Amino acid sequence: MTSTADALFPAVRQRVLAVLFGAPDRSFYANELIALARSGTGAVQRELASLLAAGLVTVRDQGNQKHYQANAASPVFAELRGLVLKTVGLADVLQAALAPLADQVAAAFVYGSVARQQDTAGSDVDVLIVSDALGYAEVFSALEGAAQTLGRTINPTLYTRAELARRRAQDNAFVTRVLAQPRIWLMGDEEVLRGD
Amino acid sequence: MATDPLLNLSGPAKPLKAEPPDAAESAGLLRTGRARLHDAANPALSLESRFDLAYNAAHALCLAALRRNGYRPSQRYIVFQVLPHTLGLGPEVWRVLDKCHNTRNLGEYEGLLDIDERLVASLIDAARLVDDALRRHGAD
Repeated sequence: MTSTADALFPAVRQRVLAVLFGAPDRSFYANELIALARSGTGAVQRELASLLAAGLVTVRDQGNQKHYQANAASPVFAELRGLVLKTVGLADVLQAALAPLADQVAAAFVYGSVARQQDTAGSDVDVLIVSDALGYAEVFSALEGAAQTLGRTINPTLYTRAELARRRAQDNAFVTRVLAQPRIWLMGDEEVLRGD
Repeated sequence: MATDPLLNLSGPAKPLKAEPPDAAESAGLLRTGRARLHDAANPALSLESRFDLAYNAAHALCLAALRRNGYRPSQRYIVFQVLPHTLGLGPEVWRVLDKCHNTRNLGEYEGLLDIDERLVASLIDAARLVDDALRRHGAD
């Protein structure tokens, strides 16, 4: 199966967009970006040139380094950031990390500041996982590589289906707040949240 | 030679300070940590009390590990984050304890102690793994 990101963007552009639009409130100098994008210098420089020309990225000189940053003033900034978060910049990384546990996960999604696109580079990635069997040790082990790749702390919260239903019935403040907010789905769908 | 991560974290305005180990202090931390960890498994207690006992047990044991390495923390959270360096433990232990530290702070300072059986069970398991690692490192 072709992934959404593969259908839309060539590999190097995906990685460059993932770095820049994954943390749009900070800038990256060229060598840092090349290392984070795990791609060749020439390939990354070509992507940067076209992203700059299109106004999707800005550049400024800092000392003798050029610093690149996602352009929040671009008319498609929010849409492109949303696309990156739902694919190569976040969701794909988390899905791959959770894949070995998939048969024990009824549903998993990102909520909180990242899903609302109100995050800063220091924000945790909040992930709610509905699972009847998993413990925190297994989940943190599985997510560690993703935390390194994304350069962010991942904060999972685990609920069993029964617990989630109980908390919804009791109008639990946390669950009510989470369910009222935007979500980026990783596994499963809304069905699990309706419970019953 | 590889740089020492604990040394890199120590100094003014950093989370650790170098201070020689103290046998009596370590023994006291191990004693209180193990006593609380034992009581945390008592099903007659409320889940909140079991969480407090297990969290404080984990903190005492992780602090003992750091002190045995010749450092003293200036922040509570750091004793969990340096477990890979003090006892060679991975994210399946230190990330769980770090999460419980944040959960504990929300409870202590904002009145939002949101815990359940699974979190407390995971916390107790992590604290036991810290204790096992301490014993492997010769702390009886």
